Amino acid sequence: MEERLIRSARVLGPLALLGVAVWLGMVVFVAPVERVQGVVQKIFYVHVPCAPPAYLGFILTAIGGLGFLRTRKEQWDRLALSGAEVGLVFCTLILLTGPIWAKPVWGHWWVWDLRLTSTLVLWFIYVAYLFLRAFVIGSDAARTLASVYGIVGTAAIPFVYYAVDLARGSTLHPSSPAREGLPGLMAATWVVAAVALLLVFAYLLVRRLEVARLEAQLLAREPAR
Amino acid sequence: MNGPRVFAAVLGKDLRLDLRSWDRLGPMAVFAALVMVLLSTALPTASAASPGWIPALVWMVFLLTSLLGLGRSFQAESEQGTIVLLTQAPCDRGWVFLGKATANWLALLGVELWTAFLCWVLLDVEWGVAWPEILGVGLLGALGLAVVGTLLSALACAARFPVFLLPVLLFPLVLPVLVLASRMTGEALAGDQIASAMWVGLALYDWVFLLIAYFVFDYVLED
Repeated sequence: MEERLIRSARVLGPLALLGVAVWLGMVVFVAPVERVQGVVQKIFYVHVPCAPPAYLGFILTAIGGLGFLRTRKEQWDRLALSGAEVGLVFCTLILLTGPIWAKPVWGHWWVWDLRLTSTLVLWFIYVAYLFLRAFVIGSDAARTLASVYGIVGTAAIPFVYYAVDLARGSTLHPSSPAREGLPGLMAATWVVAAVALLLVFAYLLVRRLEVARLEAQLLAREPAR
Repeated sequence: MNGPRVFAAVLGKDLRLDLRSWDRLGPMAVFAALVMVLLSTALPTASAASPGWIPALVWMVFLLTSLLGLGRSFQAESEQGTIVLLTQAPCDRGWVFLGKATANWLALLGVELWTAFLCWVLLDVEWGVAWPEILGVGLLGALGLAVVGTLLSALACAARFPVFLLPVLLFPLVLPVLVLASRMTGEALAGDQIASAMWVGLALYDWVFLLIAYFVFDYVLED
């Protein structure tokens, strides 16, 4: 399965490139300028579509962790690691683009809002996951312990969301772009952005899988010291 | 049949060690008092005395203090080489986890009582206004911390710099306990009824992580 996934990079690469070109073209030339917020609202087409890949990456980390603990096959661990790293990139993008949009619109770089806070906690969970991998002595132990933390971390996400919701009460974010009833061209740009970023996510994931596999092959060839 | 016996043996051993040497509980008690004094003096007087701040302050002191004890839980086993014996327990290793987690839970309850006493003396907190609710929150909150903390202490113990790693691993995961418990404590102190959804949320957190930890602990101890 891993081999097929890695081979799909040949198709995913050009598709992702095309998707990004269409997405950026639509953001600049097609999507209308929002009346109240002005041109700054266009960051919406970067900020919001980063969320599905971020969550998908973390789900893959839990699936990979479960698969590794059950089968002890390294390819599951490589999936978990790749999901965490690529998911973390998208999670970081959400956290960077959010304040850039928030400052002119809400007047603050950061507010302790439900979505912002839970995304930040999610980011911390996966930074901790990568720290654990880096700090554990021995690659077998690192794989096992990281799998356990990946599963526990993913299980904590709904509780974090619930607790932050309870503590903060409300969110300044709209419920979801689909439910907000965006005008035609805005909705179309948002859909294109979501598809393009999912393609970018898939491409980065399979390339990271390939790198992880090459690393494993190199380590297997290296003579014992 | 071996499982409950291993559970009782691990629990009894940890409790005996805690009561015999005070290596763990002593520093935790002093640390809790120190953090309480530092926070109370550093905060503006109005904030420290304000009922709105007290639940969060109490739970923060408790969380920081529990970190000391949880960190020692497996570090001591590792230093003395007894962790190898735990891996050879003649039963499902989940029972070893249950023994360690229960010992940690009881130690944390002791620290909780001490923190509550400090708050009563230093901040005039009247715990008696709704003691059954506060007791319930204390039991469930400490259980959540003990379960997740015991598992993560075992993970951190296998790494370099466990003292640094444990808080990084633990704090994001126990945020729900901190938020729910401080909210519930605040409502109980204000004389309000605690929403049943919060009780369910906290109990569900404890139950879910107890189950996960029981099943994955085998892999943790293996490595």
